[in-house]
Amino acid sequence: MKFIENIGKFIIKLFSSFGKFILFILFFFKYLFKPKFYLKNNLSFFVNVFISSIPIIALTGIFSGMVLALQSYTGFSRFSAESAIPNIVVLTLTRELGPVLTGLMISARVGSSIAAEIATMRVTEQIDALKTLNTNYYNYLVTPRVISLTLALPIFVTLVDFIGVMGGYIVSVHRLGFNDNLYLLNTIDFLSLGDYLSGIFKAFAFGFIISIVSCYCGLFSDKGAFGVGSATTNAVVISSVLILSSNYFLTELFF
Amino acid sequence: MKIEIKNLKKKFNDNFVLKDISLTIEKNKSTIILGESGCGKSVLIKTIYKLFEFDSGSILYDGKSEVDIDKFSMLFQYGALFDSLKISENIAFTDFINNKTNFERKVLSLMNDVGLNKSIFDRYPSELSGGMKKRAALARALYKNPKVIFLDEPTTGLDPINSDKINDLILEVITKRKITAVSITHDIKSAIKTGDNYYFINDGIIQDKGDCKKILKTKNKIFKSFIIGAKY
Repeated sequence: MKFIENIGKFIIKLFSSFGKFILFILFFFKYLFKPKFYLKNNLSFFVNVFISSIPIIALTGIFSGMVLALQSYTGFSRFSAESAIPNIVVLTLTRELGPVLTGLMISARVGSSIAAEIATMRVTEQIDALKTLNTNYYNYLVTPRVISLTLALPIFVTLVDFIGVMGGYIVSVHRLGFNDNLYLLNTIDFLSLGDYLSGIFKAFAFGFIISIVSCYCGLFSDKGAFGVGSATTNAVVISSVLILSSNYFLTELFF
Repeated sequence: MKIEIKNLKKKFNDNFVLKDISLTIEKNKSTIILGESGCGKSVLIKTIYKLFEFDSGSILYDGKSEVDIDKFSMLFQYGALFDSLKISENIAFTDFINNKTNFERKVLSLMNDVGLNKSIFDRYPSELSGGMKKRAALARALYKNPKVIFLDEPTTGLDPINSDKINDLILEVITKRKITAVSITHDIKSAIKTGDNYYFINDGIIQDKGDCKKILKTKNKIFKSFIIGAKY
């Protein structure tokens, strides 16, 4: 009997959290179009996210491109289709791996830090302090983070696409013996604007998912050190699952 | 500002934290809310501050149910200073985030009032001791010239010497600026020193009330055992 009761409680909690999350998103949009806008806060968060994420983004891009070139060669060489490698590398990176891997890396790097920072603010009553100072925490904390990350992710994805293609180029030319001009020509000729834009659209969506989920997990965390820990874990896990699942539906959209 | 609370009830999920609270906070007096940890003291002052909504009862501010919370300010238990901002930016928070730049003189004057050296003007909260953080938080609370100040366990986490200093400072500030003060504490010594009236909360209701100078003469058994437990 206790077991069934616990399942019931879990389901109620799940639906109530989902409802709370939807309300949170609606409030975000409500305050997005309402003053005040803390421009300095928005800008400093954007710069901070941008600078701190560049190294990890560069590493993700270059190694993804390099591995992709090697693995594609393993498969395509079996039916003499090595010439398709530049096409596969650029297509996979721009349409799929670029946005998804960047989303997952940023969720781990920035999403976790957003959730931990806001959860700590909640635990140490800084969120209450904001309210006592007549400052809306949506305007001060949520909006800058969501806007910055939603705008930053497409830039990161563009970087990963570019660096990834360069990684594929390095391996293909210096390790697999491709002609360098031909490789670049094949890459540029094959890539269409639609391929690139479909990846960028995904990046906007993933940036929004990571930031809104991380802010929510931080703001509604439990108290104490355990609360901060679970908020951080939840932010990364939920963002990652949502990125991977929404990726399918977004891919269907651009199929 | 006079605040009258009648039959206030507040619950979280199905658990009533405040079961039936009625009390009056007199204008320009220092009211102390006493009680054990978890008895609902913080919930009470946050409800008065309108940070929480209540389930039933009434709160009247100078006879009205609506109030501009800009007339209030709060000193939090552990200061609640914003870690990412400098002390000066913390103190002048509202001006700072609205891009006003002429707050330096006012901040320095407040820092002087609360006994902070101007050398910490550009320091971050993580670089300060507990006592200094409390002083900075008090300066932030005073920055907007409040009519009512809420003090959530102002001496928690401080050694006896620093506790005494903070109590003296609070007393000086609220007397000099003629502010209505509402403090919550479980420190009897602080209550006697800084308060005019006290209310003792236990199990979500007011168990005892009276003059702070007569706390030790209370006849309420539960409050007496609380005082003994508090090792006054």
